[in-house]
Amino acid sequence: MKKIESTKYTPEIILDEENGVVEIKGKSYPENTFEFYKQLMDWLDEYFENPQSKTIFNIELIYLNSSTSKFLYDLFDYLEEKSEKYEIEINWIYDEENEVAEETGEDFKEDFEEINFNLVVKEE
Amino acid sequence: MKENLIEEIELVKSQTDKLFNKLLKDVERQKKIMLRADKRQKKEYDELQKKLEEVEKLQIAQKNLLESFIKLIASAIDTKSPYTGGHCERVPELAISLAKKVSEDSSINYELKNEKELEYAAWLHDCGKIVTPEYVMDKATKLETIYNRIHEIRMRFEVLYRDIKIKALERILAGEDKEEVEKWQKEEFDRVTKEWEFIARVNVGGEFLSDEEIEKLKIIASQEWIRYFDDNIGLSWTEKERREITNIPSVETLLANKKEHLIPREKQLSEMYKRHNFTTKIPELENNLGEIYNLSIKRGTLNNEEYFRIQEHIMMTIDMLESLAFPDDLKNVPLIAGTHHEKLDGSGYPRGLKENEIPIEGKMLAIADVFEALTSHDRPYKTPKKLSEAIKILFFMAKDRHIDKELLKVFLKSGLYLEYAKNYLLSEQIDEVDINEILKKLEEM
Repeated sequence: MKKIESTKYTPEIILDEENGVVEIKGKSYPENTFEFYKQLMDWLDEYFENPQSKTIFNIELIYLNSSTSKFLYDLFDYLEEKSEKYEIEINWIYDEENEVAEETGEDFKEDFEEINFNLVVKEE
Repeated sequence: MKENLIEEIELVKSQTDKLFNKLLKDVERQKKIMLRADKRQKKEYDELQKKLEEVEKLQIAQKNLLESFIKLIASAIDTKSPYTGGHCERVPELAISLAKKVSEDSSINYELKNEKELEYAAWLHDCGKIVTPEYVMDKATKLETIYNRIHEIRMRFEVLYRDIKIKALERILAGEDKEEVEKWQKEEFDRVTKEWEFIARVNVGGEFLSDEEIEKLKIIASQEWIRYFDDNIGLSWTEKERREITNIPSVETLLANKKEHLIPREKQLSEMYKRHNFTTKIPELENNLGEIYNLSIKRGTLNNEEYFRIQEHIMMTIDMLESLAFPDDLKNVPLIAGTHHEKLDGSGYPRGLKENEIPIEGKMLAIADVFEALTSHDRPYKTPKKLSEAIKILFFMAKDRHIDKELLKVFLKSGLYLEYAKNYLLSEQIDEVDINEILKKLEEM
C-alpha cells in the first residue's frame, strides 16, 4: 500500500494495490498541481503493469482548484483508455451541501460516458 | 502507388481528425473548468463579503454594548447618591469640551486625538464609588453615620432615671416622708427599667409585634422630659431644612414622630414607571425616620418606605439593563433579570406579571434568589436558617403560587439543594430534610 499524507493544501492519496482501490480525499489546491500528482501517475503506471481485475477510485475532494480539475480530466482520459482492458469504477463522493463539488462531478460524468462513473452523496 | 497515396492521405486525415477532435474537446473542457472556477470564485467572494458585513455588524454591536455598559456603571453611581446625581454624566461633557478648547489654544502643546478614550475615561472616573457606602460618600456632618438610634433612646431613659432621682431628692428636701419617697423612687426605677427592656426588645424585630404591644409602646413613648440644649445646631443644611425650631427649655416625649423625621421624595420615578410598566405603589415619602413609626413595624425591621427602596432595586436593574445595547442573542437579559421578584399569582413586583408572562428563566432565578437569601449566614439583620426551614418556606411559597412548583420539584428531586448546602451553608445549618414527603405534598397540590 502506498500513501501520501494530506496537508493543508493537498489531499490524502492512497493506492491499495492488493484490493485495487485508489483513494483521493481532502482539499486540493497545491501551488503546482501537476507536480504534486505526478507521484500518483507514476504509481498508477507501475500498478497497471499488473492490475487487479477491477480497480475502484474513490475521490472525495471538498475543495479543488482549476488545475486540479484539469488534472482530473487527464486522469480520467488515462483511465478511459485502461477501461478498454480492465474494469474501472470511479466514485465521485461529495457532501450534500457542497454544490460546487456536485456540479464538478456532473461535468466529469457527462464527459466520460464510457467509464463507470458514479456520483455518490456522502452518508452522514 | 496511387492506392498507397490515398491510404496515406486517409490515415493522415484520420489522425488529424482525431487530433482536432481532441483539441476541440480540450477547449470545451477548459471552458467548463473556467466557468466552474468563476462560479466558485463568485460564491467565495459573496461569502467573504457576507462575513465581512457580519464582522462589521458585530463590531458595532460590541462597541455599543461597551459604551452602554460604561454609561450604566456611571449612572448607577449617580443614582445611588442623590448628592452627586448627574455628576458622572456631566463630567465627560465638560472634560471633552475642555480638551477641545485646550487643543485649539496655541499656548499649550496638546491635541485631542482620541475623543472616545477621553470620553470613556471620564464616564468611568468615579466607577470605584459603586463600592463606597452611601453614608460615607454623602456624610454631611462629622458625627453622621449609620446609627442604631437605640443608643440615643437609652440615653433618654438615663435622663428619666436621673429625673426620678432628682424629683425624689427634691421631695425629701421639701420635707416629705423619706421612706415613702424612696419607695416611690424604687417603683419608678423598676418601671422605666422594664420599659427600656421592652423598647430594646421591640427594636430587634425578630418576631411579630401585636396591636397590644404597639399600644404599650405608645404609652411608654408619651412620657415627658425636659430638653435644655439647643438641638438645632451642629446640623447639615439638609437636616436643618426639615427641622421645626423650638424654644428651650422644651418639653419632649420619650419617643416621637417628628417633622424632621420625614424625608421628602425628591427622585421622580413616574418617567421610569411609564417606560417599563411598573405597577408597584410609590410611597409619598422617601423615608420616615419617626421613632414610634419605626418601632411599630409589625414584622421585620423595614418600614414601608424602606421596603419600597428594596423593591426599587429591581426597577433600577431593569432600567439599567434595558439601557444596554444587548445583541440579539442576549436580548432577554433584562427580562430575565427583571422578573425574579414576580410571583405566579400576580402579586409580585415591579410589574405584577402573571404566571404566563414570566419567562421560565425568571422563575428559576426567583427560586435561586430566595433559597440563597434564606440560607445565607452573612446578613446582619437575621440569624441563619436551617436547611429544613428554608425548604419549608420554599414549599409554602409554591403552595401560595409565589414560586413555580414544577421547578421547585426539580430543585429538590435532583438533589441540587443539598449540593448547594454542602458548598455554601455552615455545617450546623444542614439538618435532616424529608424530601420525599415534601415532593409527595407538592405532587398532591
